[in-house]
Amino acid sequence: MSIDPTTEMPNAAAAGTVLQKPVDRRLALKILAGGVVAGTQALGACAPLSAATDEERQVRLLAWQEYIKGNYRFMTEEERGETIARLERLAKLQRGEEVAIQSTGAQPGVVFGYAFNISKCKGYRRCVEACINENNLDRSAATQYIRIFEMEDGVVDLDHADATFQHEVPAEGHFYLGTQCFQCADPPCVKVCPVGATWQEPDGITVIDYDWCIGCRYCVAACPYWARRFNWSAPQVPAEEVNPNQHYLGNRARKTGVVEKCTFCIHRTRQGRLPACAEACPTGARVFGNLLDADSEIRWVLANKRVFRLKEDLKTEPRFWYFTD
Amino acid sequence: MSRTCLGAAAIYIGIAWLTAGCAEPDRAAWDHPASEADTVGSDTAPAPPALTATLEPGGLRTVQAAPVELWTGPGGRPFEVAVRTSERDAGHPRRFGAVTLQTAVRSRSLGQYPCTSCHLGRRVVMAGERIADAHQNIEPVHPKQTGALCSTCHAADDVERLALLSGERATLDETYRLCGQCHFAQADGWAHGAHGKRLDGWQGRRVVMGCADCHDPHKPALTPRIPFRAPRIERTRGPDR
Repeated sequence: MSIDPTTEMPNAAAAGTVLQKPVDRRLALKILAGGVVAGTQALGACAPLSAATDEERQVRLLAWQEYIKGNYRFMTEEERGETIARLERLAKLQRGEEVAIQSTGAQPGVVFGYAFNISKCKGYRRCVEACINENNLDRSAATQYIRIFEMEDGVVDLDHADATFQHEVPAEGHFYLGTQCFQCADPPCVKVCPVGATWQEPDGITVIDYDWCIGCRYCVAACPYWARRFNWSAPQVPAEEVNPNQHYLGNRARKTGVVEKCTFCIHRTRQGRLPACAEACPTGARVFGNLLDADSEIRWVLANKRVFRLKEDLKTEPRFWYFTD
Repeated sequence: MSRTCLGAAAIYIGIAWLTAGCAEPDRAAWDHPASEADTVGSDTAPAPPALTATLEPGGLRTVQAAPVELWTGPGGRPFEVAVRTSERDAGHPRRFGAVTLQTAVRSRSLGQYPCTSCHLGRRVVMAGERIADAHQNIEPVHPKQTGALCSTCHAADDVERLALLSGERATLDETYRLCGQCHFAQADGWAHGAHGKRLDGWQGRRVVMGCADCHDPHKPALTPRIPFRAPRIERTRGPDR
């Protein structure tokens, strides 16, 4: 392993100043890494240069710096900027993708809510298609965040609902109910995470730091709504189909062994746009808005329509309501 | 580019309208022979309203604002829609009244718009249930269900306007005023965002699709389609599910 000697890395001299602060596990690892780097640099001085190109060396260095970074939630703005610059560079070097990763924070006074009109949904799955393209979902494993259940009129029975229907829709005597992550106000998935890799943002979106997730899948088991997806293999997205508009907590490239989920299109909704599913729905069955705005569409639906939520008895308080005309 | 075309089209329409002024009676007679014509409401002033309009027409007013570019084309005007409070809500201190929204511009996406490119006069003679040869693409399912004639919804004295039951006229972009006369529950939900598709974003101006953007006014039911591909894996089923 050879590393560009011009890049700054923590070394023995810097460690002295760092040690004045309380040392945590990551910091200790960083200091250790500094020693390793110093050693390899000394080694590189006498050993013949390896055959690695500049690009390969840069990738290795960036990957290493990414490996020892902290949890996004506790990063300073500066650190967030640094990791985003590294991730964008890595996307360019490793996969040839020109991406722009945001770190846009939550808007003050905004809590997102979603309403789904089960009278209107016709089961076209245009939302699923839009979601796959918008969120760079794994094409090889055919990951889908949204599931549309086909049910017989009269009862909401998810046990006997068909989510894999493939025939002309709407079918006679059936209705359609879509599920995705409900962004619960009291999310069980966050409670069970042993490493704090998933948390709820101020605008109510539950997010995952893909670089902090250890892949234990406790959250997948804890979610009562089957909303989380696990990457058993590295997600494959053709370079020409990659959506370059990305968010660190949203649709940026995932890796093997981490969990992902719907984030209400965090990269769009924090800029005032609609989630891709709501924008794609041809029937207008999807209503999205700010729950704290008394004049919003979603508030009118909640005040004037007959609404229900799935598994209310679990007290997870989903911010996703179903309603009928 | 598009603005230049639009300007040219506007000038053309203006000229066509002016020149049509003198030739109008002959032209109308040529289009629709008098023997076949049903002259309901064609020459006289609009008939008094047969029913009470449920969306209060007086409350519908256009607010002047700069035109915005929408995916349906240039144009787009913000409307203030006064929404009728339904009876079950009477007495409850809920927020009702004027809702500000913008509708997508539909007229420019119509294949045969502007109407004056064929109809040189604004006045049309409507012949009962008969559909003119130029409009054979229209499948009059909804009029047949309801027993409506062309002149029930289309203004006979203005080819590019819709006739409301109150005697008022609405443009082709204001279909909610026409449809909402009978479908008032849907119009109520539409004005507040529970029905109909919102464009643009959840924040800022509210741009929504009008009735006829999704529903063919002559055949409003949506047709079945083949859905996007199904998920490959069935969801997990635990012992308690």
